[in-house]
Amino acid sequence: MANQTGRSDSAQERLSQVSGHLSSQKRGRAALLEQHPDDIVVTCALRTPMTKGGRGAFRDTQASDLLHSAFTSLLSRSGIDASLVEDIAVGNVLAPGGGATEFRAAALAAGFPVTTAVKSLNRQCSSGLQACVDIANAIKAGMIDVGVGAGVESMSTQYGPQAVSEFSELLDSVPVAKECKVPMGALSDRMARDKGVSREAQDAFAAHSFQKAERAQKQGLFDAEIAPVTVRLTDPETDEVREVTVSADDGIRAGMTAQSLAKLRPAFPGEDGSGSITAGNASQISDGAAAVLLMKRSTAQRLGQRVVGKFVAASVVGVAPLLMGVGPWKAIPAALAKAGGLDPADVDVFEINEAFASQCLWCCGELGIPEEKVNPKGGAIAFGHPLGMTGARQVSTLLTELRRTGKKVGVTSMCVGTGMGMAAVWVAE
Amino acid sequence: MLEFRTQGFNGYSTKYSPFFDSRIAVAASANFGLVGNGRLYILGLTADGVVPEKWFDTQDALFDTAWSEAHENQILAGAGDGSVKLFDITLSSPFPIQSWAEHAREVFSVHWNLVSKDTFLSSSWDGTIKVWDPTNAASVGTLPTHSCTYSAQFSPHNPALISAVSSDSHLRVFDLRTPASASNHLTLALPIHAAPAKPPGAAGPPTVQHAVPPSEALTHDWNKYRPTVVATAGVDRAIRTFDIRAPAQGPLAVLHGHEYAVRRVAWSPHLSDVLLSASYDMTCRVWTDGTGVKGGAGPGAMGMEHPVSLGGGREMGRMERHTEFVTGVDWCLFGAEGWCASCGWDERVLIWDVRAIMGPGG
Repeated sequence: MANQTGRSDSAQERLSQVSGHLSSQKRGRAALLEQHPDDIVVTCALRTPMTKGGRGAFRDTQASDLLHSAFTSLLSRSGIDASLVEDIAVGNVLAPGGGATEFRAAALAAGFPVTTAVKSLNRQCSSGLQACVDIANAIKAGMIDVGVGAGVESMSTQYGPQAVSEFSELLDSVPVAKECKVPMGALSDRMARDKGVSREAQDAFAAHSFQKAERAQKQGLFDAEIAPVTVRLTDPETDEVREVTVSADDGIRAGMTAQSLAKLRPAFPGEDGSGSITAGNASQISDGAAAVLLMKRSTAQRLGQRVVGKFVAASVVGVAPLLMGVGPWKAIPAALAKAGGLDPADVDVFEINEAFASQCLWCCGELGIPEEKVNPKGGAIAFGHPLGMTGARQVSTLLTELRRTGKKVGVTSMCVGTGMGMAAVWVAE
Repeated sequence: MLEFRTQGFNGYSTKYSPFFDSRIAVAASANFGLVGNGRLYILGLTADGVVPEKWFDTQDALFDTAWSEAHENQILAGAGDGSVKLFDITLSSPFPIQSWAEHAREVFSVHWNLVSKDTFLSSSWDGTIKVWDPTNAASVGTLPTHSCTYSAQFSPHNPALISAVSSDSHLRVFDLRTPASASNHLTLALPIHAAPAKPPGAAGPPTVQHAVPPSEALTHDWNKYRPTVVATAGVDRAIRTFDIRAPAQGPLAVLHGHEYAVRRVAWSPHLSDVLLSASYDMTCRVWTDGTGVKGGAGPGAMGMEHPVSLGGGREMGRMERHTEFVTGVDWCLFGAEGWCASCGWDERVLIWDVRAIMGPGG
């Protein structure tokens, strides 16, 4: 009988019964904001600064060392006992052998014990997001309790033609397969023309990205997500080696306008010299690393970890290789559907990687996402796109901005070379 | 609008006396019914407003009440400790004249047999309905639903029919005339969340209405004029009407509008198409299910036997004076059609005229 059980127990049961009447029908955004013990939560997300490939402060620094820096910062900022981290996934695109060996070594050097496993993975520009999603899924499935999703790229040291091996005759004989090796700049230029995205619109979008990033940097809005890195740098003229501490992105150019960008020459001119994509309205080549600490909410509560956000759902989609830029347009609705049937209007902030102004602009337009919700602190056009890092970097950028503005629901997304798209839904807490 | 404060007690259910148009009972509970005492108020409607004629305090919360149909001074209450209590309001004793303790969990509804008047029932979170004879110390029957049963009733048209809705999103009908076989008198289990069927003979493209996910059903009521029509409502905020003769047909009407779960529905004793609802959204709303003839149709009117409407119902007005969850609403059986009483967690009982809140279209 009910009155033989503890009185507080029965009060608790009655309370949950009544709250069930009120909560169980929540759908969409309201359901998303609920907190449950089995939520996959982020308790720390940070990144290194991003510096220009070949010229920035990280030009002499290996990817493994950038990763090492992100790992040590993650351990110290979160205060997590490193021995509790069971697996680390590192997204990376350019390292030979996927970077598997040096990333494991970087984890050990950063203070993770030998019991912490490490893998590297490559889904091109979404590698960093894929790493976070893999860790989240492993936690959800019960394979691990605590994990780190990370991404790193040293485009200074590893960008180049060696990243793609020669296509076999077999691949070249299948038209759609052969299209996978068309350079992204060239195909994006063609896509911009086919989709009717004008040079002016691209330059305006790019200038806006620079302006947003410049303003955010001046206001110190990146400071919370950036963990400074100390590196050794060789002066190219004097050969003098000095130690510098980098704490800000160096790609953000002040005072950019659509007019100044309009002066740049097409980067991928056709035979007639036409083309709308320039160095100014495409993402920058950069170096950097990012890391995200993930666990269940119940674990975070047990460990006393402060929850900064939760991972809700992710999607990966394929599109035609020559239309790789439309990836977010297809991936974002898929992720929103998996997150409980959200509408784009339910999302407060979109972090959509600006691989090219043309494709980002087109995707946002097709999805009806208002401009002010997209990349509020600027994007890869302004501060760079270290390929493997970007997906993990967006998590810290997004959650920091959502928390600063008191907003809740965010989406990270990017197009992926060879014709894919990825997106993930996050909630800041 | 008349008002009475149930100071310190949050209302859970209110019922007009079937014998007197000036007497209302309210089952209420301290601390929102989570922990603490219950109180059954007997209120009189007088020229000086609403006055408490009597009240009974109980050890545990009270969640529902029902007047005896056989004795004008006797009244039932269902309690949080699983007991069902019968009070006589003419006695000075503060205790019930009978208390039945068989349910293992909270009793959430009690209902008197309106036709035979010699039995009553109770339903509980323990997943059973129990049928009682007030002269018998033990229940005369137990009908399992295997699911937290928020609401159970006798049919107002047939003394052997018992209906119930429960948290498994089903409307069940038990017929006590059937043999008590393995199915325990269960003759129908109708999924409330099922999609409406296409009307017979309807042409054109398939309807766009789909099944909705199951959700807890919290309340239901038999139509007073159409003996096979039952209205249900609950956590999914929609009120649905069903014809129990055609369970596969799905809902006859679906009424959307409440913003939170619906806690109580009550068909009008005067008009066959009108019902009242009370909701966690702090409103009471009056609806037509779309079958009515303007101006009110009596029993047996044309069209009543074969309701073809798959909707067409609409909200006719709402009462927004409660400031907390509204948990109970009941119609006055007497006098002009439209007087009703509502109670809620705002510790208030409001007595009002439905006609005063209906829009010009009503």
